Amino acid sequence: MKGILSVMGRELRAFFFSPLAYIVAALLLVVNGLVFWLIVSYLNDPRAGFGAPLELFFGQTLYFWLVLLFVAPVLTMRLLSEERRSGTIEVLMTAPVTEGQVVVGKYLAALLFYCFLWLPTVAYPALLAYYSEVDWGPVLAGYLGVLGIGALFLSVGLLASSLTKSQLVAAILTFAMLIPLFTFGLLENLFSDAPIRELLSYLNLWQHMEELGKGIVDTRHLVYYLSATVLFVFLSARALESRKWR
Amino acid sequence: MIDAQGLTRRYGEFTAVDGISFTVDEGEIVGMLGPNGAGKTTTLRMITGFLPPTDGHLTVGGRDLFSDPVAARREVGYLPENVALYPEMRVAEYLRYRAMLEGLPRAKARPRISETVKSCFLEEVENQIIGTLSKGYRQRVGLAAAILHHPSVLVLDEPTVGLDPKQIIAIRELIRELGHRQTLLLSSHILPEVELLCDRVIIIDRGRIVAEGSPRDLQDSWVGNTILRVELKDDPGEAPEVLAAIPGVVDIAFGDTGCYRLECSTSTDPRQSVFEAAKERGWVLLELAREQASLEDIFVRLTTQEPVPSSGRGELGDASQEEVPS
Repeated sequence: MKGILSVMGRELRAFFFSPLAYIVAALLLVVNGLVFWLIVSYLNDPRAGFGAPLELFFGQTLYFWLVLLFVAPVLTMRLLSEERRSGTIEVLMTAPVTEGQVVVGKYLAALLFYCFLWLPTVAYPALLAYYSEVDWGPVLAGYLGVLGIGALFLSVGLLASSLTKSQLVAAILTFAMLIPLFTFGLLENLFSDAPIRELLSYLNLWQHMEELGKGIVDTRHLVYYLSATVLFVFLSARALESRKWR
Repeated sequence: MIDAQGLTRRYGEFTAVDGISFTVDEGEIVGMLGPNGAGKTTTLRMITGFLPPTDGHLTVGGRDLFSDPVAARREVGYLPENVALYPEMRVAEYLRYRAMLEGLPRAKARPRISETVKSCFLEEVENQIIGTLSKGYRQRVGLAAAILHHPSVLVLDEPTVGLDPKQIIAIRELIRELGHRQTLLLSSHILPEVELLCDRVIIIDRGRIVAEGSPRDLQDSWVGNTILRVELKDDPGEAPEVLAAIPGVVDIAFGDTGCYRLECSTSTDPRQSVFEAAKERGWVLLELAREQASLEDIFVRLTTQEPVPSSGRGELGDASQEEVPS
């Protein structure tokens, strides 16, 4: 536990000291702010349909996904590849910690920083609550989705980072893995076979967020995020260990 | 403290370390010597638990590195070759992180860090960002981090590489001081350094141990014949025959005018005979000296396939002195 905490602490500090993290934070807030403003002004138009602003905010716009697809590689690309490039991995892996502890520590740091990035968006429902009624259930469900899908994306980035010494390659690799992960589900309507449709629908992240935004929490989806995340974190630890057998 | 038996490490087809066995006892300072690519770093990486051996048995501080790797790593402090540090951290912050990583309780870590900072002369840079430090300071930060948890075995890979002469002296002093407290294994390709610091030397080449022993022992067993340097004024013409006839002289080589190098069998000491021969014939003896083969000679002889020409010896020694001021 202490091993995990010390790795996590160092990594979190590195996040807060790196300019890149602030660029990501700024981008996330600008895009989210813009989207929120657009949604609210759209819904203010009397001719517009009914809907809760935050339902649309969570996952109903392409921006949400674009930002997520951008944030995950940037936050995770440094995690393990930089240690390998600079050689600090040698000091780290001769300390009395296991590969698993190192990987989990780093992953948790990225996840915490990701949560920190989303923290200011809590202002949106708070703002809405000031002017009107807010149904808090769907809002919480929406944040659950943000956390679950973020956790999954970050674990993919962690794995990519464990495979290479180059941050750039890690980022591109993450992107290359996230694109199919995200788009497979969208192909659902192209198939007429029931089993394939069902499978793709199970993987359809867009649809998951749509449901969560409405306040429908389907535990099957949460199981999917959690198990995939655990798998990717586990694979990262294996990849880090693989230096021993080459 | 370190017990390695039949240690082997292969990278694919390439065998970097080929079945080497050695032990390092408590409180010993052992130097591992070898040309670049001899397998020094790979051996040290196995001892520190960074790389598992492909074959062989290895215990450090009584802990088996294979079955109990985390406990074994706790026994070891390690300064890798290219002291890698996190450039964005401050020195004190980095040491706090390392103390935590090594599992030191917070209450114990604080005095330990200030003690280590003092012993590595880091007080002035304690709050500086590591990225802004000079190479010498960085080396000392690495060393401080390696000794922070009072490991029973300290492993240093090329601790003085890339430092200026003044920094080399400071680091060596520090190493010698540490050597009194713990078992120390260091690697180097700088011979005078190893000769200076170590109780025992292990020379490795192409993944195998080619010689082992104290610098003295190595000299005694590997020098072969002693070299006698003789310089005579005005170079008398008959000198070569007379000198070659002296009992014990096996071979004779000529240098500048009047300079001779006599190779003598180890058991004899013909210095007196040379002096008497000179006195008898009225030669003026300018120099008469016995040359001890240095560790350098042994090293070169053991790690190169060609025999070293005897005239090359002096030059090699001089070159190394220029390179490594001590």
